[in-house]
Amino acid sequence: MSALAYFLLVAVIILSFCLLLLRHGGQRDLDRDVDGSGHGTSVPFVWDPLNSDLSARIFGPEDSDFVASETSRRNARQFRQERTALALDWLRAVRGPVNQSIRDHVRAARGNAGLRPADEIRLGFAFLLFQLTAGILHIVIWVCGPPSAAKLVGYSLGLAGQLRKVTEDVLPTGLQVTVELVEEKQEREN
Amino acid sequence: MLGELKYEDVEAASRDLADRTLAKIRGDFARLIYLASMRDYNTAEYHHEGLAYRFSERVAGRAIASCHRDAFTRLVRCSVKELVEQLELYADSNCSTASELVRVWEKLQPYRIAVPLECSSLAARFFASNIRAALAILQSRQLRAHREALSASPSL
Repeated sequence: MSALAYFLLVAVIILSFCLLLLRHGGQRDLDRDVDGSGHGTSVPFVWDPLNSDLSARIFGPEDSDFVASETSRRNARQFRQERTALALDWLRAVRGPVNQSIRDHVRAARGNAGLRPADEIRLGFAFLLFQLTAGILHIVIWVCGPPSAAKLVGYSLGLAGQLRKVTEDVLPTGLQVTVELVEEKQEREN
Repeated sequence: MLGELKYEDVEAASRDLADRTLAKIRGDFARLIYLASMRDYNTAEYHHEGLAYRFSERVAGRAIASCHRDAFTRLVRCSVKELVEQLELYADSNCSTASELVRVWEKLQPYRIAVPLECSSLAARFFASNIRAALAILQSRQLRAHREALSASPSL
């Protein structure tokens, strides 16, 4: 009985920590939206394709091992710290577009009569799973360093891709038409 | 189409720049520094008289920007080990020693202004971090070589 109580206590602590990190991450995303642009949440997040290539380098052990073998301990430690900071920034860059697309979806879904509750629940569950994975990833990077989090990175990216697909599938028809019209207009302007 | 610019013209200008000029420069790092040096600090516009004469000012600007982005992307994908080699090649081709390069670059950090304007802040910081590590490795190697030379020389 006492073992179960301990297990529950640990689970609650971990969940609370994850929620705290999620809120912190979400707040930072909002800050970035507002920061400097003055447009609030209307600024679209642009995913740089180069960031995908960077993940292999940031989370791979090759560079850290090479720096550790070639320089002093102080330089190697500084390099590891820089890689940890970069990995956390990379994670924020992954979460940014996902959070943005969910915000867009919520805005579009508000007042839409054609919503399907089952799809909305599916989307909500996928978003929760993604945020939970991102929160765990944040902790692993922070505590153990980027190379230890390498396996979770692929899983997290897969979830982000799935979530984007689900958002596109669930997106109300009216908004899809609007988006297509806006894209057409932009193409004509270019 | 790129606004009023033709994509084919920009492609042709990029090829021309790559074949006539960049092919003669040894290493992507030297190419990056060369391409960044053609950019105006205030407007971020690229200028190259020869290329602008053959094509147009705007087409030349776009072509240089494209080559600059490509060179940066290739360097960002490099490992730290490959970057160290690139820095050694750069020092050799500029008639300066690696120790001189390390000494000046640690102070001035010119690699910070060599990044293309459109690159993400994550990529820019990643690049700067890798260059700092590569410079530290070059410095360590020189110190090691210096110590080995001292220990190998006959004592008086």
